[in-house]
Amino acid sequence: MKALTIAGNDLRRLVRWRANIFFLFVLPMLIILLLGASFGGSQKARLGVLARDPGPLAQRFTRTLSERPSTQLVRYASYSQLQKAVSQGDLDAGLVIPANYDSLLAQGRTATLSYFARPNSVAQQLRPTIQSVAAEQSRTLAAAQVLQARTGTSFASALTRANTAAAHTPRLQVLMTAPDGGRYTVTTGRFQEGASTELVLFIFLTSMTGAAFLIETRRLGISRRILSTPTSTRTIVVGQLLGRLAVALAQALIIVLGSLLFFGVAWGNVLGTAAVILAFCLVGTGVAVLVGSTFSSEEQARPVGFLLGLGLAALGGSMAPLEVFPSTARKIAHITPHAWANDAFSKLLKHGGDLVTVLPQIGVLLGFAAVAIVLAVWRLQRTLTA
Amino acid sequence: MRTSLVILGKDLRQRLRDRSVLLISIVVPLVLASIFGLIFHNAIGGRLSFKFAVVDQDHGPAAHAFISAGLAPLEQRGLIHVVREPTLAAARTATDQNKVAATFVIPAGLSDAVGHGRPARLTVIGSVDSTIGAQVAESIARSFADVTDSARIVAAAIGGGGISPGLAARLPNPISIADVSTKSRQLDAGTFYAAGMAIFFLFFAVQSGTASLLEERRDGTLARMLVAPISRRAVLVGKLLTSLVVGLVSLVVLAVATHFLLSARWGNVLGVAMLIVAAVLAASAVMTLVATLARTPEQAGSWQAMVALVLGMLGGAFFPVAQAGGVLATLSLATPQAWFLRGLENMSGGAGAGAVLGPTGAILIFAAITGGLALARAGRLVAR
Repeated sequence: MKALTIAGNDLRRLVRWRANIFFLFVLPMLIILLLGASFGGSQKARLGVLARDPGPLAQRFTRTLSERPSTQLVRYASYSQLQKAVSQGDLDAGLVIPANYDSLLAQGRTATLSYFARPNSVAQQLRPTIQSVAAEQSRTLAAAQVLQARTGTSFASALTRANTAAAHTPRLQVLMTAPDGGRYTVTTGRFQEGASTELVLFIFLTSMTGAAFLIETRRLGISRRILSTPTSTRTIVVGQLLGRLAVALAQALIIVLGSLLFFGVAWGNVLGTAAVILAFCLVGTGVAVLVGSTFSSEEQARPVGFLLGLGLAALGGSMAPLEVFPSTARKIAHITPHAWANDAFSKLLKHGGDLVTVLPQIGVLLGFAAVAIVLAVWRLQRTLTA
Repeated sequence: MRTSLVILGKDLRQRLRDRSVLLISIVVPLVLASIFGLIFHNAIGGRLSFKFAVVDQDHGPAAHAFISAGLAPLEQRGLIHVVREPTLAAARTATDQNKVAATFVIPAGLSDAVGHGRPARLTVIGSVDSTIGAQVAESIARSFADVTDSARIVAAAIGGGGISPGLAARLPNPISIADVSTKSRQLDAGTFYAAGMAIFFLFFAVQSGTASLLEERRDGTLARMLVAPISRRAVLVGKLLTSLVVGLVSLVVLAVATHFLLSARWGNVLGVAMLIVAAVLAASAVMTLVATLARTPEQAGSWQAMVALVLGMLGGAFFPVAQAGGVLATLSLATPQAWFLRGLENMSGGAGAGAVLGPTGAILIFAAITGGLALARAGRLVAR
């Protein structure tokens, strides 16, 4: 009971400090917004094209490219302007069609387009798009070149023959499916992908800032005053753990509800999601109290909190999907609780899992939490009575 | 001036003693830059590699062509790694468990259908946990389909019925795409995260300088300084110097350390020096301005953290905001962080210090505006 009072008091102190509204609410939403805008999947890639050849084949290439749904095409007239726009991020990539494009093709030779991109994920989507337009054009162009070489007709008539033949030759289709045989959907919204990984990041980061809060509680003498009342250290320890847990849960709730309301993020199976969040909040609580009882000043605890909060999140795949990690980094990812929580959310949100499916991940998270909390209680009891 | 230096010395000793300044200005940014560099190394350098599975139910020439001409060259270049799965069910499970990013299914009868101009289909099963890899698999399958189509078109136009084996492999390649993405004007992963973390934590490193006046007031040491024959200006200058010294040391140490430890390429020394000086001035100015708005050291601390976080995030210290385009990219230009990174980008092709004049100017304008406001309000910090 007394432990609840201590936890309640911690929460009240937190809420009364208005700046915390920013850290708990505004900052997470801002990051989800920024990440969604920078890396969001359904974003249109902006491609600048400089067509140096006004010929019909070059025009057809540009036209086909502009009809691709994921691409926004901007035409440029000068190379330096195009290059500048790409390097400054106004465009994701630039493409130059050489001046002799049409004539090279008519001579049965290869025309080379120059492509340059920014090193970002949008540009990574663009390259295959351009490649596929080139491949689609090449279907008839290559056929025409072969026909020209074999029959000795002009390229123009060979191309006409190839186009006619193409019209009634069935194409080899490529069908993309999900593992269950259903339709493969990449993401349902640009904010969906990042929301669960950001949730994991913020639960932990907010917990870490709680470490400094614990030290402040000691510095202000609140702990000493409680100890002078008939209250055992165990009650204080439980109270402080509960207080941290409440803050972590509040942070989780804010992000889940906020992202649901503002960005329409879906959170999957309610029970499963709640259980993963609770288990991960326990990990955050344990580590926060451990850091808070290990360091002696807030100035020290804050940087350490940053380091753990951001460093573990990055290693555990909360800043970029594990898919893009080098193999060594992928192997060590699962030493972080973040990786296990992200795995659980992937099961819940992408594989349609429920509580039972994510029990292994929850088990591991509870293991992390148990170790952290045991260490934290041991340190905290020593610090409180020191 | 002597008094200011004494105050500077005392503050530095105090901060060094609890090691917090070392943590926030050097250790944390260095460790985070190493972690980010490690993780994003491949993604930013475009050296991603994916693991795919193949289920061959066809065993005919088309399947052989796909595996030997479509997949093998990519595997030899280290871009993909291909494993064989005996059954469709095994492949579905492996893909569902994300053991492979995608599976190519070559259906029975594909060779026959292709050879006789009948409709045919290749299936790609994608893992929902490897969206990039799945897209790569799809585009590999599509480009194979396009080449096969070319061969079928040739066959149809010549009118021989089936396609001769090996025609697909000998088809010309009329359009090729040369990736001439210059490494210039774009920072590599190591440099981007070294510089990003350095500039991000700079704003935290300098914040204690002038804000510590609020602590001194709370603890009563400010009053004691002011009753001594010390001018207010000397106290203020001493605190400002602390900010500047901590900031300068932080950036210089980080630039040198990441150059040797993470092989970050910061570029022309004079240019880097100009950017560093301007950034330290800007960071100290804006943090002092925030401190003048606060009443207690706690308030100053959390407001400063907010400003540092928002400027850092908007400025692209963690992820390149400029690539988002639109309002966010424009907003990011209001931050000294964005200009600092752009300055380094400008030099990354080997350009000299001249390339950073614009960005340095922009940072100095930010420093002048916030610094001017801070100076106008600075009296409040040393009021009794």
